Amino acid sequence: MFIEGMKLTTKKKTYHLKKHDQEMDVCIRCAYCFEQCPIIREVQWDTDGARGKVILSYGILTGEIQPSQYVADKLFQCTYCRDCLERCPSKVKILEIISSARADLVEAGYASDVQKHVIHNIQTTGNIYGDREVVSQEREGKTPLFIGCQYLGRPNKTKKYIKILEELGIYPVITKEICCGYPMEVLGFKKEFVSHKEQFKNSFPFDEAITLCPTCTVFLKEGHGINVKHVLQIINDKLPSAHLNMKVTYHDPCDFSRGLRLIEEPRKILKKLGVEVVEMETHKENSRCCGGGGGILMSDQPLSNDIAKKRIHEALDTKANILVTACPTCEQVLKKAAQEIAETEGKTMTIRSIEDIIWQGLSEVKKSAESAKA
Amino acid sequence: MHIDIKKLQEIVGVENVRDNIADKYVYASDASVHSHFPDVVVRPNSITEVQEILRYANAKKIPVVPRGAGSGMSGQTVPLAGGIVLDMKRMNRVLEIRPEDVLCKVEPGVINDELNRVLKPSGFFFPPTPSSGMICTIGGMIGTNASGNRSVKYGATRDAVLGLKVVLANGDLVTLGSNTKVDSSGYQLAKLMVGSEGTLGVVVEATLLISPLPKYRMMGVANFSTLEDAGRMISDTIASGITPSMLELMDNVAITAVNNAQQLGLPDVAAIVIFECNGMIKEAVDHEMKQISDICEKHHGTGVKKSDDPKEMKRIYEGRQKLFPSLSRYGAGMVSTALADDMAVPMSKIADAVHEIHEIAKRNHLVMSAYGHCGVGLIHTKILMNTSKKSQWQDAKKAVKEVYEYVHSLGGTTSGEHGIGLSKAPSWKIEKKDSLALMKAIKKTLDPNNILNPQKLMDAPEDWLSATPLRYQVST
Repeated sequence: MFIEGMKLTTKKKTYHLKKHDQEMDVCIRCAYCFEQCPIIREVQWDTDGARGKVILSYGILTGEIQPSQYVADKLFQCTYCRDCLERCPSKVKILEIISSARADLVEAGYASDVQKHVIHNIQTTGNIYGDREVVSQEREGKTPLFIGCQYLGRPNKTKKYIKILEELGIYPVITKEICCGYPMEVLGFKKEFVSHKEQFKNSFPFDEAITLCPTCTVFLKEGHGINVKHVLQIINDKLPSAHLNMKVTYHDPCDFSRGLRLIEEPRKILKKLGVEVVEMETHKENSRCCGGGGGILMSDQPLSNDIAKKRIHEALDTKANILVTACPTCEQVLKKAAQEIAETEGKTMTIRSIEDIIWQGLSEVKKSAESAKA
Repeated sequence: MHIDIKKLQEIVGVENVRDNIADKYVYASDASVHSHFPDVVVRPNSITEVQEILRYANAKKIPVVPRGAGSGMSGQTVPLAGGIVLDMKRMNRVLEIRPEDVLCKVEPGVINDELNRVLKPSGFFFPPTPSSGMICTIGGMIGTNASGNRSVKYGATRDAVLGLKVVLANGDLVTLGSNTKVDSSGYQLAKLMVGSEGTLGVVVEATLLISPLPKYRMMGVANFSTLEDAGRMISDTIASGITPSMLELMDNVAITAVNNAQQLGLPDVAAIVIFECNGMIKEAVDHEMKQISDICEKHHGTGVKKSDDPKEMKRIYEGRQKLFPSLSRYGAGMVSTALADDMAVPMSKIADAVHEIHEIAKRNHLVMSAYGHCGVGLIHTKILMNTSKKSQWQDAKKAVKEVYEYVHSLGGTTSGEHGIGLSKAPSWKIEKKDSLALMKAIKKTLDPNNILNPQKLMDAPEDWLSATPLRYQVST
């Protein structure tokens, strides 16, 4: 019998994975994606790393394995840090494959209650919190600004960013925005995203915009085709120099460094404000993930926390005692990890957002100008 | 096959044993075309645990397949007979660094680049440099006798292994080799373990030779309008007594692939040769590079240039660096497979071998590139094929056989650095026919119950194509 062991294509309910049929054959399973995959570095099971997820997706497609809660747990155990995309020598579209596998699993009934709850929140209230009070404050202006759920849920941070923009002569237009829909895409609720996309377009009818959140920035670009710039990309030239005389380490949010290649701008800004950046062992496009992306906070918080602690230890090795980042999710998970490390190991690392530092710099400039006047 | 999962859990802990179908499916394959389910995956963390697992498996005659990163391209870690896959990644401690003795001691799960990171502050490195160095484990490198683009100067893993601690099939722990570079007496059992692909024992500790990091490095490139000229340049360089730290060849298929996929604008020539020298003394490196450049020109090499500027060196190597992804994206529907992928031929026969590889590819409706560490006579090929077509697999099977027949006729060998695994085994057995009985006798002595990675090397199936289910979907 010819090629006895060869498998035959089986037709399973893999609507989303089917389109990656050939792409999954391009993956030669070399495991180069292991290099800095935060999951495999932490867990050390082949199944749990990026290659494992592509193989599981292939198995679902071919019918060699059946969708199950176990398989779903593995596929949802990913931070979407994009490091695998950097390492893959064949440039396999790993995250697109994982997203499609998640979508097939969700449609097969393997979404968790927490995931469903978040999607329901977006559908009913327009934000991930399910809180109708969390809304953007509409205003007239010149440049469309998309705030995003993470900043809407942190109104003080948003206010600070808006003040920074105004100080620098940028007047944002704010609409009554709704979530960009990234959680739907990343959690595999692709069907729900189709109708949400239309609503989003109505709530944010712009072709060009500026943004606050790194993840929204990527998704407005990739998911909605909007020509977006993160605020850090536009304020660098307008910022005055300051002399904060601080030494910090900078954590590159994955969506910044690997998603948008927005690597030098934050560093230039910090330098301009008189902040010395001491680099961690992994930085820029090689930066380790904070552990907070890809919906993992909903599926495996302890693992996320372990990954975040690794990053804090890396930061501690720099001898700087402040870590600055430009993403609210990174800030949140790193703060929690730093607090735990402070409690258990007595080592302290203060986590600060870049908008805080910028605000501090602008305040210092203002004060100097005022005292010069006086 | 009945495996007492509880017993294994008692040995390594519940969290280090998985027998879910999803895990077994992932551990069924490596970077080869093959696939076969294990019954269970177990992750030991100590020598004692490995011993206990093997004692149990030996008593019950359960196959055990050690595995590192699972990045092998030939199917060594595909568990053909099922059983236990022993994932060694948790045993990843660097135990000792002794610069004064030019050695280090490590556990098998240590990643090659991680070892080099740890060695760097001492001014040393572990010389074998596989392309997969960032993820491959020392245990895997020992199992396959891996090497890489610097083997021309530093040799392969076997040359760097001074001693090993190995758990035998019956669970006994043996210390083999020594802590010295010379070790004249008796059978070289540590060296025997290197390249044995997990069939003779489970390596649990390795004593490795390390080298001082070179202070100076320079890279060069030359283009050749005929493969023969490139071949003569290579063999002349090595025969002249120069020791380049790298000597790499790219054929026209490889050049075209890189240009199509990456738009690098490499010259459309028969071959490009990239060379590098390194050392402690700048003048010595400069002198050797000058000699290699002269040899290039003597053999009609054009566009010869060399540089010690890191950016320029990166640019020179860019084409070679991007070859792998370029081959993967060669054309729609074409998939890059590792089947006959690392043969080695006597240096003077490189041009003949590359020519014939192209002919074989043409005859069999495939695309095959030839590139690799030509300074040691090693040629890498990738077979680019439509893996969903049944007929292409028959073409590939025929091509693999023809490639090896030709390589053997030149006095070459089946595998230079990736090991034998499955797809190369039929041809390798023909090449090694005079030593197969001896190898079988050694295997029988060390592993009488045949539990360690069974059906590999001399016991591998005669037909690699039907040996296991392929990892691809194939239409009828």
